Amino acid sequence: MVAIEPEEKAEHPIELVLARLLRLGSLVAAALLAVGIALMVLGQTAFAPRLITVGLLVLLGTPVLRVIAAAVIFVKERDWHFALFSLVVLCAIAAGIYFGKGM
Amino acid sequence: MYVVITFITIFAIGIAAGVVGAILGLGGGIIIVPALTLGFGMPMRTAVAASTVCIIATSTGAAVAFLRDRLTNTRVAIWLEMGTSLGALTGALVAALVNQRVLFILFGLLLAYSAYNMFRTRKEHTRPDVVPDAISSKLRLGGSYYDKALGRRVEYQVTRTLPGLIIMYFSGAAAGLLGIGAGIFKVPAMDQVMGMPFKASSATSNFMIGVTAASGAVVYFARGDVKPLVAGPVVLGVLLGAILGARLMMRMPASKIRLFFMPILAYTAIEMIYKGVKWW
Repeated sequence: MVAIEPEEKAEHPIELVLARLLRLGSLVAAALLAVGIALMVLGQTAFAPRLITVGLLVLLGTPVLRVIAAAVIFVKERDWHFALFSLVVLCAIAAGIYFGKGM
Repeated sequence: MYVVITFITIFAIGIAAGVVGAILGLGGGIIIVPALTLGFGMPMRTAVAASTVCIIATSTGAAVAFLRDRLTNTRVAIWLEMGTSLGALTGALVAALVNQRVLFILFGLLLAYSAYNMFRTRKEHTRPDVVPDAISSKLRLGGSYYDKALGRRVEYQVTRTLPGLIIMYFSGAAAGLLGIGAGIFKVPAMDQVMGMPFKASSATSNFMIGVTAASGAVVYFARGDVKPLVAGPVVLGVLLGAILGARLMMRMPASKIRLFFMPILAYTAIEMIYKGVKWW
């Protein structure tokens, strides 16, 4: 693991929270993908593609969750500017999903 | 047996794309799309859909290491994500209306200019003092990180915050239109325009492209373009490659990374202009 300057840990907790979230998302996605591919190779052609799709969807959801987590942290810290910026990003993603479905 | 070999090959391509993408702050789509279309004869839609999910994988995989090492500037990222996400939305909405030839040529010229700028400043290890503008001071956008290649802490300021946001809007629009993460526009915008160090720019771009790509990926999923048997192995490879690439990048000198980045910029610029001119 990479060494972190200890004096900064308390100063910017947001990086560590987001890092933990992204690591969890990528680990869950990687595990689902790996099991799915292994089952595919073993001939489970009906079930395996579905498992892989779930893995891909977990991966897709991770950056969106990351923006939500950042928004929550900024609201807790009463950093209203950045809370608002996160909200703008979330609205744009939501609008993308809404319009995307109709395309 | 044939399935296994195909899986392993796609997986290996994914690892290579993940390493390159993480080091340069790009999604790796530049490698994946040609490999899947030219190498495996897959349809463009399948390749672009798989590539978009790979961009998320690169971003997520590499961001963990960059965040822990504080290379990512999260405040700058969220400020600029307003531009990229609104741009991506616009891009997706107007994709059908805009003349693609003109876009290709415009982007090509923009990229060529970035490549030239990077070539011009290739030997600058320390840049002249960056004076933060009013927004940057108010939002405390400046930062610092420990550079393992230099063996010391690098403190930096951020300037031209508004021009940066406007460029991000257009980079987001390019991403929405072309189904890419558009890291190739984000890195020069931070590095050249906003005065951020290259490594911080690359790590922050990497962090941001996941969100840009997520909005595009939703559309591809909804259309059923994401084929699990193609996207599964390549995405798994990209995830592992990105984690590896992030570790590598932190130990590489910034000047070397720039040297690596320039030919990619130049190549993409030529290809985009060529595409635009060819369809004239």
